[in-house]
Amino acid sequence: MAVAAAHAGAVGHHDHIHPEPEGFVAKYIFSLDAKVIGVQYMIAGLLFFIISGLLAEVVRIQLLTPGGAILKNDAYNGVYSLHASGMVWMVVIPMMTGGFGNYVMPLMIGARDVAFPWLNLTAFWMFPVAGVILFSSFLIGAPDAGWTEYPPISVQGPPGTTMWCIAIFLIGISSTLTGINFMVTIFKMRAPGMTFTRMPLFVWAQLATAMLNMIATTALAGALLALFLERVFDVPFYDPARGGSPLLWQHMFWFYSHPAVYIMILPAFGIISEVFPTFARKPIFGYKMIAFSSIAIALLGFMVWAHHMFTSGMAPWLQLPFMILTMVIAVPTGIKIFSWLATLWGGKIDFQPAMLFALGFLVVFTFGGITGIFLSAVPVDLHEHGTYFVVAHIHYVLFGGSIFGAFAGVYYWWPKMTGRMLDRKLGVWHFWTTFLSFNVTFLPMHWLGLLGMPRRVAQYRPEFQFWNDVCSIASFVLAASTLILFYNLATSLIRGKRAPANPWHARTLEWTVSSPPPYYNFKTIPAVLKNPYNFGEPLPYIGLTLAEEEEDRLPKPGPAVPAHS
Amino acid sequence: MAVSALNTSHEAVAARYQNVDGAYAEQRDMRLMGFVLFLISDVVLFSAFIFAYLYLRNSVPNWPPINKDGVQLPRFDVAFAAINSCVLFGSGATMHFAMENWKHLNKAAFNMWMLATIVLGMTFLGGQAYEYHSVQVTWSGSTMGATFFTLTGMHGFHVLVGVIYLIVLYIQANRGVYTGSKYFGLTAGTLYWHFVDVIWVALFYLFYLM
Repeated sequence: MAVAAAHAGAVGHHDHIHPEPEGFVAKYIFSLDAKVIGVQYMIAGLLFFIISGLLAEVVRIQLLTPGGAILKNDAYNGVYSLHASGMVWMVVIPMMTGGFGNYVMPLMIGARDVAFPWLNLTAFWMFPVAGVILFSSFLIGAPDAGWTEYPPISVQGPPGTTMWCIAIFLIGISSTLTGINFMVTIFKMRAPGMTFTRMPLFVWAQLATAMLNMIATTALAGALLALFLERVFDVPFYDPARGGSPLLWQHMFWFYSHPAVYIMILPAFGIISEVFPTFARKPIFGYKMIAFSSIAIALLGFMVWAHHMFTSGMAPWLQLPFMILTMVIAVPTGIKIFSWLATLWGGKIDFQPAMLFALGFLVVFTFGGITGIFLSAVPVDLHEHGTYFVVAHIHYVLFGGSIFGAFAGVYYWWPKMTGRMLDRKLGVWHFWTTFLSFNVTFLPMHWLGLLGMPRRVAQYRPEFQFWNDVCSIASFVLAASTLILFYNLATSLIRGKRAPANPWHARTLEWTVSSPPPYYNFKTIPAVLKNPYNFGEPLPYIGLTLAEEEEDRLPKPGPAVPAHS
Repeated sequence: MAVSALNTSHEAVAARYQNVDGAYAEQRDMRLMGFVLFLISDVVLFSAFIFAYLYLRNSVPNWPPINKDGVQLPRFDVAFAAINSCVLFGSGATMHFAMENWKHLNKAAFNMWMLATIVLGMTFLGGQAYEYHSVQVTWSGSTMGATFFTLTGMHGFHVLVGVIYLIVLYIQANRGVYTGSKYFGLTAGTLYWHFVDVIWVALFYLFYLM
């Protein structure tokens, strides 16, 4: 009954196919196709990743000697500020939502595109513009108060700080528009029969991220607008001499930027949740728990911002609730970690590069999560705040979390996106060199921080030199290891093996169409009977037109099994 | 007004619902949801500045604050703002009437109420301009001025955009872009206009009554 209704819906009004655009510009530059826009996000994000990564290497070269190897203090401030701003806003956020979200999410829900393609196009083009504005602030004096740009330094900072404001404001608008677009897409454009509890977990993660993007990012826009007004029109918001408050910025900034860490990590959780069941050949453990914990993390993320401000002079009675709420976030995160472990348990694991990065993610992200618990405890934070311990923590969760997740996503979906396979051996090399050099780079920062080395300094006490040199040398290896990935991507494009529609024998909808997918994604929109993770059962889709070469190999779509609701 | 709206022939109203096609309904629902989400994120932008206002207001011993010359600033003039608020709230009512008349296919009445809304919106903006001219605080002189001009300025900008939007909708409606069953643009315009009204309720309370 329900199946018949769902199938009837499949041939309903969703079923018009737009003609493919003609000409290079309409097809690749100003395309309305979410897949092309997704790839554009990835290319731009990759360029900014290289720039921000090189800035990180400049930081590490500077810290080779206690006196600072190459830069004056002011220049050094600009370098680490733009390294962090670039990585957060120009790399991780646009890659995870704009890149993977645009490419994969519509395919996964059985849609032909996102809800508002024009909005998508507009949001994309704000991104490279914002990136260029951000990095060209070097020309007139880069912002020098770190990525958090606390007043009063940011109010008095060099002219580039204004450009920083404009760039982040622009990318914020872009994120908000993408968030709105994805919310509507996920709510309104799922294939018939795909109830919320039959959505792939990556889509759940994108939904939670879109909620955060839509709500939190405009709060940052407010903070940035106020900073812009204060810098340009001398309007007092943050200047204490005129009744303003630097703490106001911290509240407004962290009200966005704490949810922003979940904007950066939730899509990675989504990627991992797809990679684990596929390569463990097992149904995901605790599907609903993983899905709902994404939403729980998104909601809790709004209630913890002041844990960044324990040392800023906030009211002591407020510290306890913020500390406890922060620790509560470990519960939904822990649910995810243990569900992934249980997914692996008893599985027949295929150690493809995507799976290696997912496993690496599990190790280092859990480690970073635990140091996060340290930092959320007020007495510990009072000691560790503003030290390299924080730097170590953020890189374990942001590099070890988000970037490892993105690497896993690249290895997982590259064949789908390009129709070419990546070299497995190079992928394994990439993983092991990255994993090892990553840990050698960032692990020593924990004890450097505990010993009292402050973050954001161009010089440091001589006794810290040994471990700083270890970090620096490992970071050069880390940069070199990324070259293996770039080499792999380039050679795959030129002479990579042709990818079949479903190289990993995965079960979500994007693998049922050819690689790369046709412009219209699906000839007919399939109807969905179950969540996609029941390995060993027939595919839970009706009305699928499989890519031709897959007709023989895939498990056939099952007969009309009654949907269990 | 509602009475005359009800007098519209039932046949015309019934015909309206038979013309709705599925593809349009789907598009309309998506746009409506997208537009509401946009308004929600806009509320957050205003909330950020309202938070800033309350935070700065509560971090000094007395409000209005003392400016840099040591002079206690005066409170904002409630009387004029109240009259101007009535103009804006009235425009919300006329917008509602315009929309109801469109739904009931009273084109002439729609045009009249729509023009009334546009004129009232412009009047409100004129009142705002007068108030900016006569008020005794400056944008960069104190936190009171900073928050007042930024928040009401943002709101005024929204009203300005709204007036332009309504003018475009008025022209579009008279050029036959919208029909009795397909008028999402008008729905969005109405929603936006009511949203601007509601924001003003909050701002009026915060700056003039509190």
